[in-house]
Amino acid sequence: MRTLDWVVLFAWIVTLVSYGLYRGRGSDSVSKFLLAGKSMPWYAMGLSIMATQASAITFISTTGQAFTDGMRFVQFYFGVPLAMVILSATVVPAFHRARVYTAYEFLEQRFDSRTRALVSGIFLIQRGLSAGIALYAPAVVLSVILGWPDKYTALLMGSLVVLYTTMGGIKAVTHADVQQMMVIFAALILSLGMALYLMPSDISFGDALHLAGAAGRLNAVDTHFDPNSRYNVWSGLIGGMFLALAYFGTDQSQVQRYLTGKSIGQSRLSLLFNAIAKIPMQFFILFIGTMVFVFFLFEKPPVLFQPIEQARIEREPGYAAVTSEFDKAHAARAAAARKFVAAERSGDQEAKTSAAGEFRGAQKQFDAARDQATKLAKQGNPAYSNDTNYIFLSFVTHYLPVGVVGLVIGVIFTAAMSAISGEINSLATVSVMDVYRRFVKKDGTDRSYLIASRLATAFWGIYAVLFASYGGGSFGALIEQVNIVGSLFYGSMLGVFVLAFFFKKIGPSAAFYGTIVGQLTILAAAKFTGIAFLWYNVIGPFAVVLSALLITAIRKEEARVA
Amino acid sequence: MIEEPHKEVIDEPPPFLGTWPRVYGFVLFWLVCVIGLFYWFSRAFLA
Repeated sequence: MRTLDWVVLFAWIVTLVSYGLYRGRGSDSVSKFLLAGKSMPWYAMGLSIMATQASAITFISTTGQAFTDGMRFVQFYFGVPLAMVILSATVVPAFHRARVYTAYEFLEQRFDSRTRALVSGIFLIQRGLSAGIALYAPAVVLSVILGWPDKYTALLMGSLVVLYTTMGGIKAVTHADVQQMMVIFAALILSLGMALYLMPSDISFGDALHLAGAAGRLNAVDTHFDPNSRYNVWSGLIGGMFLALAYFGTDQSQVQRYLTGKSIGQSRLSLLFNAIAKIPMQFFILFIGTMVFVFFLFEKPPVLFQPIEQARIEREPGYAAVTSEFDKAHAARAAAARKFVAAERSGDQEAKTSAAGEFRGAQKQFDAARDQATKLAKQGNPAYSNDTNYIFLSFVTHYLPVGVVGLVIGVIFTAAMSAISGEINSLATVSVMDVYRRFVKKDGTDRSYLIASRLATAFWGIYAVLFASYGGGSFGALIEQVNIVGSLFYGSMLGVFVLAFFFKKIGPSAAFYGTIVGQLTILAAAKFTGIAFLWYNVIGPFAVVLSALLITAIRKEEARVA
Repeated sequence: MIEEPHKEVIDEPPPFLGTWPRVYGFVLFWLVCVIGLFYWFSRAFLA
C-alpha cells in the first residue's frame, strides 16, 4: 500500500460513514429508526439487501474458492429466484398487512408468545454468531495489509459501524448500502479488467477460458445428484431455495429491509431485483477468481498466499526442499499451459486431448507442492488451515495499480461494515421489539424504545467486536462457515413460518414443540451424518411440519386464527 | 405508546407486464435461461 492507496482508502471510508450519517438524520422515532418510516423505494431496498449479503467475505472468500475449487459454488444461488417468487407472493403481503416490526411478531399473531420468543431466540443465536464471523473478515484484510493484530482492526471496524448505525438507524444503513453497491460494482469490473490486462500478451481471453476449463475451474453446473456433494444443481435448486426462503423470509436482517418499503409492490420489486441480479453477480465474482487462477499459471505465486505463514515457513529447515519442488512444479505447469494453448489453437483434437491431460497432471503436481507447503506451515502452527481467503488480497495488493489497490481494499473494508451494520440493526430490533417491549417493558414511550434501540445496537456492535477478536482464529473458507452456521438454524425457523402460512389447523403448542423437534433434528443430522449442509434447510422444515402435524393429531389442539 | 409502523397498506400492480404472476413467470424464465447458459459455459470450455 502506497500513499495514494491510503488516501483513497480513508477518503472512501470517511465518505461512506459521513453519507450514512447524513442520510440517517431525522431518525427520531422507533418507526423511523427501525423501519425508515416505511419510506424506502424498491431500488434502495434491493441494493441494501444485496449489500448485506455482499460482505467482505464475498470478495475475500468467493474469489479464493473459485481459484481453488472452480465456479461450482454459483449453483448455491440457483434457488434464490424460486424463493423470491414464493416470498413475493406470500410472505411480503402478509407481513405488510400484519403491520409488524419483526417477522417474529407475526408468529405471535398466528400462534402465541412462546413461539415468538423461541424463534426470536434462535435468530439472536444464529445471527449473533454470523455477525461475529462477518466482522472477522475485515480483520483478516487489515491484518494482512497493515500487520495489525486482528483485535485492533475488529475494534476499528466495529466502532465505525456502531457510530452510524446507532445514530441513523436503518435509513443510514440502507443509504450507505446503496453507495456501497455502486462502488462494489466498479471495483469488481476494475479487478476483472486488471486480471485480464495483466495476462501475458500471447494469452488471449479465449485462451484463458480454455485453460480455466481444462483445469476444471469453469464447472458452473454439475447435474450429477449426490446428497453428500456440497454444490450441484439439485442441492442449489432445492437446498438453495429452502435456504433462501429461510434467509429472506424469516431472517430479520433481510425481512427488515423490505419492511421499510413504501408499499407491498415496492417490497416485492426489491426481492425480485435480487432474484434477477444475484446469480450473475456471484458468477462475476467467481469468474474473477478463475481469471486470477489463470494469471498465476504464468506469474509465479507465493508458495503460501498467507504472508505471515509464508514468512514463518521461510525460516523452517524444510523450506528449501518445499520451495524447490514448488518452483519446478510452477515452471512445469506454465510450460504445460502454453503447450495446451498451442494445441487448442492448432485444432488438432488428438494433440489437444494429450496436452490437456499433461496440463491437468502438471496442475496436480503443483497442488501437491502447495500441499507440502501447507503441511510445513501446519507443523509450526497447527491452527493454520489454508490460504484460500488470502488469494484475492495477494493479487490485489501485489498487482493492481496504485490507487486501485486502495479502492478495492476500501470496498472490502466497507462491504464488511455494510453487512455488520445490517446485522446489528436487526439484532437490536429483535432484542427491543420481541424481547424488551414484549416481555420486560410493555407500556414504554416511543422515546424510551428509541433509546433502547440505540443501546441495543451499541450492545450488539460490541458483542460482534468481542466475538471477532477472541473467536475468529480458524474459520477456514469464511463464506462457507457463514452459510453452515445459518443452515444449522434456518431450517427450524423456516418450518414454523411454513406452519403459520400453509397449515391453518396447527395450533400454538404444536408449532412450539414442532420447532424444537425440527431444531434438534438438524443438530443431530449435522452431528451424526455426512449430509451436505444445504440439505439441513430441507430437513428442518419437514421435521417441524411432520412433528407439528403429529402433535396436533395426538393432542387434538385447536388452532388460533390470526 | 409507539407509533404504528405504517398507517395504510398499499398493494399496487407491477410497473411492467401488467400483473404480478406475469412478473413471477418472467423471473422463472430468467432462471431457466441462466442455468442453461451456465450449463453451456461449463461444457464449452471442457478439454
